[in-house]
Amino acid sequence: MRQGKQNGERRSFGRKGQLPDYMTENICEDLIRLEDMVKIYDTGVLKVLGLKRINLTIHRGEFVAIMGQSGSGKSTLMNILGCLDRPTIGHYYLDGVDVAAMNPDQLSLIRNRKIGFVFQSFNLISRTSALKNVELPMTYARKSKKFREERARVLLERVGLGKRADHMPNELSGGQRQRVAIARALANEPPLLLADEPTGNLDTAASVEIMELFSQLHKEGTTVVVVTHEEEIAAFTERIIRFRDGQIVSDCPNVPRECGEERKTDASVKAEAAQKGDEALC
Amino acid sequence: MLIENMKMAFSAIQASKMRSFLTMLGIIIGIGSVISIVSIGDTMRGLFADLYGKIGITQAYVAIGYWVDERRQSDYFNLEEMERIKEIFGDEITYMDCDSQTSADASCARTTVKFNFTGIDYNYNEVQPINLIYGRFLNEGDVLGRRKNVVMDTVSAVNLFGEENAVGKSFRTTIYGTTDEYTVVGVYQKDMDPFEAMMMGANTEGGEAFLPYTILTWPNDMIYDLRFFCRSEETMDELCANIKNYVARIKDRRPEEIQLITARDQMGQWNGMLGGVSTAVGGIAAISLLVGGIGIMNIMLVSVTERTREIGIRKSLGARTRDILVQFLTESALLSACGGILGTLLGGGLVMAGGLLMGIPTVVRPGVVMLAVGFSALVGVFFGMYPASKAAKKDPIEALRYE
Ligand SMILES: Nc1ncnc2c1ncn2[C@@H]1O[C@H](COP(=O)(O)OP(=O)(O)O)[C@@H](O)[C@H]1O
Ligand SMILES: [Mg+2]
Repeated sequence: MRQGKQNGERRSFGRKGQLPDYMTENICEDLIRLEDMVKIYDTGVLKVLGLKRINLTIHRGEFVAIMGQSGSGKSTLMNILGCLDRPTIGHYYLDGVDVAAMNPDQLSLIRNRKIGFVFQSFNLISRTSALKNVELPMTYARKSKKFREERARVLLERVGLGKRADHMPNELSGGQRQRVAIARALANEPPLLLADEPTGNLDTAASVEIMELFSQLHKEGTTVVVVTHEEEIAAFTERIIRFRDGQIVSDCPNVPRECGEERKTDASVKAEAAQKGDEALC
Repeated sequence: MLIENMKMAFSAIQASKMRSFLTMLGIIIGIGSVISIVSIGDTMRGLFADLYGKIGITQAYVAIGYWVDERRQSDYFNLEEMERIKEIFGDEITYMDCDSQTSADASCARTTVKFNFTGIDYNYNEVQPINLIYGRFLNEGDVLGRRKNVVMDTVSAVNLFGEENAVGKSFRTTIYGTTDEYTVVGVYQKDMDPFEAMMMGANTEGGEAFLPYTILTWPNDMIYDLRFFCRSEETMDELCANIKNYVARIKDRRPEEIQLITARDQMGQWNGMLGGVSTAVGGIAAISLLVGGIGIMNIMLVSVTERTREIGIRKSLGARTRDILVQFLTESALLSACGGILGTLLGGGLVMAGGLLMGIPTVVRPGVVMLAVGFSALVGVFFGMYPASKAAKKDPIEALRYE
């Protein structure tokens, strides 16, 4: 157990109070490794090819943007990376462990400890306070009540919502809701943070705040993967992977926009895009 | 985690109060009727116990069975036989008389009242509660001397003489064809609760009086049955068996031909009947619990569908199959238990209100209440099982996509 035993771990999984092997075994430099991964949606009437033979490695500590048009397979990829869905063919190694072989409860444990997922539509539980929402992953990790509450407050403070802990989701703005969702995603200190169009429902100012938060988390060592179709959002990251029709069409490093940097002009964005286009060709 | 689940379940129930209430209705009615039936039964049992406690649980009657076909002259007891039995069984019998009663018109001046006369021995007030308020009770001299003295209750005294304190007053009546003057030596107060009045018959118009049993047997001396009180409840079975055998021997009958009824047996019969009624109505109540349970299952299925997205979110955050299962089971159990509590309040409240209205002390046993609430929670768990497992089995990605 890496960060486990300390505060408030009450009930544990498996024997002798240990997490199962696949949770503790190796800390891999390649946090994510996809090998010839294919996802086919079987709708009954016809089969839709969601992803075609993806090979992809994301290292520990990277800050990656996934870009592409609507329907290009970004969400499909994120759902698989987030262990919400499984590949149809091929392998997904998360921290060196093949996720395809896991049963639903094992996947739940992995999602609980290793992954923080941020959705476009926030996905907070309604009629449940911000604090309780943030506590949830810790509840499922069987942390003590005292520990949960303290940590949830720290996390809400962290995302700038210290004073809103007892607010219900419907009393918060979109940006605030998304920050609660991020605080929740961070609850069990997961090494991997996945965000599927986290700024899709937000205005520009709120979007920038969210991305600055991700940059901050990335600097502290979390691996962050963000899906977006906005160049401005992608500009915050260090690596941009572009998708089209379920395939990776380009995968280039990016010089991240500094926090607090002035907003780019249209021209500079276009220039940057053109430059990336070149990179994609090479 | 359990507390967490309880809180979640509470807020889910509170979120739609009206719906939750309607869902609980079946359970409320089911548990309400169970509680009221059981409580009414318990109350009745308590009342019977009180009643028989007052008239004496050890009271018994012995006679030749009414089912015996050819009756003989010797089947009747006479006073010597009665005295003999008293002698033989000695201390074991605390009181014995010949259970003699007759009714006759009693008149004083221009008033005539129909009276029921009961023949008793002088120590009757030692085995029966008689609250004498004027004069004295019948004494040994009255009995042995066949004196025409009577003791009556206040109501009879008022009916006949127009006043309660009738000590020293006399009236005329005809018993077994002989008209005589009788004198009141004592007046007692009958205190009966409404249940006793109902079971024993309250005397409002007529009259009732005790007189020496020696008057009521004389001169016939043909006694159908003997009434006696046993020394204690523990020894009464043995005593009754012995008396039965003794009577069979002196009357040249087989023991099966002797009828011996005790107050305790009678009470047991009442209790048995009450138990039968309780079981039957309990069965009907169980059906309403079943219907209530199905109602809960139905609404939980709706709730699970409505909250598909929530289930998806919880799973995405690491909830395992069991976590979701327990969450929904807790909710249905709590829903059902709340129904049980409301039903208990309803049933218990109705019984208590009814008791107050009728002036009868009611019994609502805490054990029964706990059992009812516990059982309703169990109903919730049972009928919540299917919806909860449906919720728990949902695929996270499908659930998240649900609109
Ligand atoms: N549950 C599903 N059933 C069938 N087809 C699906 C399902 N989810 C996604 N798809 C298909 O897979 C492709 C990729 O979708 P998606 O990953 O959601 O794209 P993006 O997130 O990039 O907009 C689309 O063609 C879409 O129609
Ligand atoms: Mg998408």
